[in-house]
Amino acid sequence: MSRFLPRLVVTVALGLFLAPVLWLFTTGYKPARDVLGYPPTLLFRPTLDNFRTLGAYFDLAQLTLTSLTIAGGATVLALLLGVPAGYALARARSRLAMGVAYLFLAIRMVPPVATLIPFYVLMRDLGLLGTPAAVILVHGMLSTTFVTWLMFGFFRALPPTLEEAARVDGCTPLGAFLRIALPLAGPGLVAAALLAFMLSWNDFLFASFLTSARNRTLSVALLSAYGTREVTWGTMGALAHVATLPVVAVALLLNRFFVQGLTRGIH
Amino acid sequence: MPLVTFAARRRAFLVLLGLPAVLFVLLVALGPLLEGLRWSLYDHNLLRPQRTTFVGLDNYARFLADPSALRALANTFLFTLLAVGLEMALGLALALALWADRPFERVALIVMLVPVMLTPLAVGLVFKALLSAEFGLIGHWGRVLGVVGERGFFGDPRAAFASIVAIDVWQWTPFVVLILRAGLAAIPGELLEAADADGASSWQRLRLVVLPLLLPALLLALLLRTMDAFRLFESVFVTTKGGPGDATNVLQLYAVKQGLEFFNIGYAAAIANVTLACIAVLAVLFVLVLRRADRRMTGR
Repeated sequence: MSRFLPRLVVTVALGLFLAPVLWLFTTGYKPARDVLGYPPTLLFRPTLDNFRTLGAYFDLAQLTLTSLTIAGGATVLALLLGVPAGYALARARSRLAMGVAYLFLAIRMVPPVATLIPFYVLMRDLGLLGTPAAVILVHGMLSTTFVTWLMFGFFRALPPTLEEAARVDGCTPLGAFLRIALPLAGPGLVAAALLAFMLSWNDFLFASFLTSARNRTLSVALLSAYGTREVTWGTMGALAHVATLPVVAVALLLNRFFVQGLTRGIH
Repeated sequence: MPLVTFAARRRAFLVLLGLPAVLFVLLVALGPLLEGLRWSLYDHNLLRPQRTTFVGLDNYARFLADPSALRALANTFLFTLLAVGLEMALGLALALALWADRPFERVALIVMLVPVMLTPLAVGLVFKALLSAEFGLIGHWGRVLGVVGERGFFGDPRAAFASIVAIDVWQWTPFVVLILRAGLAAIPGELLEAADADGASSWQRLRLVVLPLLLPALLLALLLRTMDAFRLFESVFVTTKGGPGDATNVLQLYAVKQGLEFFNIGYAAAIANVTLACIAVLAVLFVLVLRRADRRMTGR
């Protein structure tokens, strides 16, 4: 078959998939009167005004720090709990282990509101509502179920003979896990960390209802950048440079792990 | 004897490694789920907590008598059917177009994943702006060219629903492409050569060789997208808020509205549990289909 037609189709599709993303970032350089110009156009004289407005209306340091705290905390929590659990499931090969694996899979399919609403009430009663801790707990839980499955797959693909050999040489079970199995599952760890971080960084539902105005994340701030009267799409485009561009850049750089994580952590 | 203690110690070690994750997930996930089940049996509003009363299944009866809730239920199913159907069809076409393993295709596949990497909230906001009737590029020209009525994409019930579907298709088709492309890469080349040697047309090759071998990947993509589409929230929340009227109201949005805007915790919990029950039924159906497909693949 000729290669021309498939490539034409792919090129057109790429244009459709990328155009809205480019629009989002270029809007950040659009003067306010052009954003609300009539009729809307694609051409404009670029300006940095929106970035100045952004600095004036948003506490970028606080937003970034909160987003990093929540996403970082949830990722560390999920890795500390999920990686050993994935190893245990891969090596145990018992009915109980499979039961746990499927329980985790089932929890991943639960619609977020089903946990969000009772969790909101619970956090309110515990006095944790509005703190990053509440969001870290939920994101950490969601990522733990996911990381466990992902690492389950990675460890299962490693032959246990290496660890057995280490045991014969006098290594403890913990030593065999930490020094033999863990380094071999390196790519899995990178994929798990990347996806856990992205899940938390990109989440809106939990972050918006469980945090207070002082503890907003960047994703939540995007909505207010769009909405209020003084600031408009231009500010949203500017804020997107902080809220989405770094994560997309890292995911593109680590695309091998991103793709592995998406295709292996799901079945 | 030493063998027994060795096995027992090994098992204890593995349990120790797995236990923290299990306890944590049970506490943070199952705890609230059970709480939600309990709250759905109460008339509980956070604005007047002292008047909490046990009402049995009244919240579920209210769901069945609430036109907004029933519309949300129907919309959720219709949305899932349309969005996932389009994503599967377009995803298959693009995965086939990207089948060749050359630099162009490899780079295209990765760049195509950018929508998947974006936060759904940003995606919703971008399309809210682009489709805006007055100032949006698509919204304005759509109106001028007569693609959509004077009230724009979000002002008309049908156009609003179509917009929500289109936004989902835009963001998640690349994800389907990724899974199907991985499935295609796993098809052994000899089988395709054998089909060509037997003089199969490209349509026959697709229908008789490629699609049956791609079935596990197709079912996996279908399962993942269905589960996700069923819990649609962000793009509706920022674009239409369920409107106009209840035209784009969906279950998750309605539960959040009832629970975290009106603070009707009891009723919101009931709506969330109905959503959960629907997803559970869909998941069980999928597992049954997967098993049958599996059995057919491995020769009954």
